Amino acid sequence: MAPEPDVTSLSNPLATVEQLSTSSSQLDGVPPDLENSLRFAGAQLTQAAGILLRLPQDIIAQAIVIFYRFYVGSEGGSFRINALKDVSAASLYMTAKISFVPQSTRSVLNVYAYLTSSTSPLRQPSETSAKPNPESYYLSEGSYQSARATLLQTESILLRALSFITQVTLPHHLALTYLQTLGVLPPTPTVKSTALAARTLAYLNTGLFSPQLLYLTHQPSALAVAAIYLAAREVGVRLTSAEWWEVFDVDREELGFLVVGLGSCEGWIKGEKGRWLGKSCPLTLEELETEL
Amino acid sequence: MTSQTKSRWADDEEDAALEAQRKREKELKKKAKAEKQRKLEEEEILRKKNFAGATAASEDGVSAHDEVDAELGRPSKRRRLSPEQDQARVEPASAKPLRFPAPEWGPCRHVDNFEKLNHIEEGSYGWVSRAKEIATGDVVALKKLKMDNAIDGFPVTGLREIQTLMASRHENIVALREVVMGDKLDDVFLVMDFLEHDLKTLQEDMLDGFSPSEIKTLLLQLTSAVEYLHSNWILHRDLKTSNLLMNNRGQMKVADFGMARYYGDPPPKLTQLVVTLWYRAPELLLGAEKYGAEIDLWSVGCIFGELLTKQPLLQGKNEVDQLAKIFELCGIPTEATWPGFKRLPNARSLRLPNTHQTTGAVIRAKFPLLTNAGTALLTSLLSLNPAQRPTASEVLTHPYFKEDPRPKSTAIFPTFPSKAGQEKRRRVASPSAPKRGDAPKIVGDAADFSGIFADRDEEEVGGGFALKLI
Ligand SMILES: Nc1ncnc2c1ncn2[C@@H]1O[C@H](COP(=O)(O)OP(=O)(O)OP(=O)(O)O)[C@@H](O)[C@H]1O
Ligand SMILES: [Mg+2]
Repeated sequence: MAPEPDVTSLSNPLATVEQLSTSSSQLDGVPPDLENSLRFAGAQLTQAAGILLRLPQDIIAQAIVIFYRFYVGSEGGSFRINALKDVSAASLYMTAKISFVPQSTRSVLNVYAYLTSSTSPLRQPSETSAKPNPESYYLSEGSYQSARATLLQTESILLRALSFITQVTLPHHLALTYLQTLGVLPPTPTVKSTALAARTLAYLNTGLFSPQLLYLTHQPSALAVAAIYLAAREVGVRLTSAEWWEVFDVDREELGFLVVGLGSCEGWIKGEKGRWLGKSCPLTLEELETEL
Repeated sequence: MTSQTKSRWADDEEDAALEAQRKREKELKKKAKAEKQRKLEEEEILRKKNFAGATAASEDGVSAHDEVDAELGRPSKRRRLSPEQDQARVEPASAKPLRFPAPEWGPCRHVDNFEKLNHIEEGSYGWVSRAKEIATGDVVALKKLKMDNAIDGFPVTGLREIQTLMASRHENIVALREVVMGDKLDDVFLVMDFLEHDLKTLQEDMLDGFSPSEIKTLLLQLTSAVEYLHSNWILHRDLKTSNLLMNNRGQMKVADFGMARYYGDPPPKLTQLVVTLWYRAPELLLGAEKYGAEIDLWSVGCIFGELLTKQPLLQGKNEVDQLAKIFELCGIPTEATWPGFKRLPNARSLRLPNTHQTTGAVIRAKFPLLTNAGTALLTSLLSLNPAQRPTASEVLTHPYFKEDPRPKSTAIFPTFPSKAGQEKRRRVASPSAPKRGDAPKIVGDAADFSGIFADRDEEEVGGGFALKLI
């Protein structure tokens, strides 16, 4: 029905150089390494909560981008002031609220109580899955009310910090369109074309967790092109026309950077998981203070 | 233009002075914009350099980067000689990537950056006032969002209003400049470009309404905004003359996104509690849970009719009366003209006469001065069956706009007498957008509307013709 969507709807606001050079958390004494870990822990927490709430992956991914945006720059939020678990919950709650799948404060808070409890699967990344202990995450009416107040207040703080820019455009859909345009996604899928599409999306999903905040520094079109580049190389699909990325308005330099960024992401995540093996990355303010 | 209309909209000295002032301001703004664009470009370059630097710093990065460089068939970045050389490299225009100025985020500014001038209007979702940005002297409109139903945190309507308006950049949609806050976390204001008039008040103040060529221009502007919204999967859901703003340069801009939201295909379940009653499509009144862009085109049809007669077209007193007024003008739907309508929730309780009303004749009778093409367009916009309504794009290419009189160019559009003080707009009572919690169902006593068709289809009256709610 509708003609081509307007180009502006395919772009995202990007972090400024100033916002990338420092952050509130660093100014508050959080070392950059730990800051990366906290960001990753927050993204993982959001992802896990989204899955428990049965939210579609695009809503979860948007919430993760919102979460990142909040903590960027000297005027953004600080991990020492706004607990990552609260900001994660508010990002997910707010993103779901404006989507087709709004969630009640009750279900969001129940899930976060569980995921931040001592028996949370996030606290035991290894396979030693002890039975979750309901006692440790049951939300009484009293604690629900105070958690709810925190959630709603954090939502306001989040919105103010983002100057109400809640729009997040993801590259996934675009990447599939590009694959079609490139003629490598035939109407009747082949083993190779299926693998190509799957790997492209996998690179985009992993890239969401990049410590380089790729989703905050590059437009969806560039992310899509880089993921296709990596996937095609891996699956062994030749994209015939030379410099095909220029068709999608992505220049060589940006592509080169993103290919490295997306390509190294999986390794970084592995390292990060190893780093916190046996203990848990701090999810609450108190835990962070102890860590510091 | 006749001499009568000339006196109404004469370009007097004051207007000329205003025009000159406007030009000067425009020049200044242009300069500021160019400067900003230059800065953005510089930042973009810096950003890239920064990242390249960051990658080069990690050992992994260096080797990986070189590898990719080799693959992509370009000299490694570190081997580049000097920035001057870089600049000298001439890129073919076609290969140059397009850059769209993306907004940035940062904390909201305080509303204290604006000086309130006067109140404009209090609506159902907030109040609006005219204000001046202290730093720039720009006159803007400030709309305060109402927060009263804050049990679920920030009201979703406000979030959507901001989200959809922010995503809409079109010359016929009011520009949202930024969102600012007051002292409390829930004092939230939209800062918009200020427009001198709204179409409803403007029309009420006019002696004999807009000329046919002006109506075409207004309708084209409205429809191109609607086309833009729909192509971006946004439903406005509250199109009406009081939400259409006008400046003194013949430009119309759609405002009030308080009901707007993203939608999908297939349409998701959405609330039927949308659109001010007089502009509400029949499928909404009948309780359809799934609806789409067609509801906005119904409203466009109502606005078209209103521009022609200077009167809201369908002034129902309540939902049932609204439906009766619609059927009176457009005929009774049948399974043939609107397959499946009987299964809509509120249609089940509606007993409709079994007749074959035609719609064309009544619309034509009500608008005797409208040409055939105009009548055809209005009739199609007011199709009871949403599937028969044209899309916004189809409206834009309708023959009505190609026949004489042609749409008046906005450049020679009359400038309306500027109410310099922009005092509070006089408002004739009319229904407002539905609030959450209004009952969407048509309930109540059986209503008999047999009378309304009396002069339309006399034979049928004798046959127990009645529109009944049972
Ligand atoms: N940018 C603007 N410039 C000038 N006037 C404006 C502007 N925005 C809104 N107004 C005026 O304020 C009125 C109310 O604005 P708006 O429709 O956005 O608010 P609302 O509270 O949603 O109203 P309602 O519920 O009555 O539709 C408009 O009809 C118009 O007269
Ligand atoms: Mg309004």
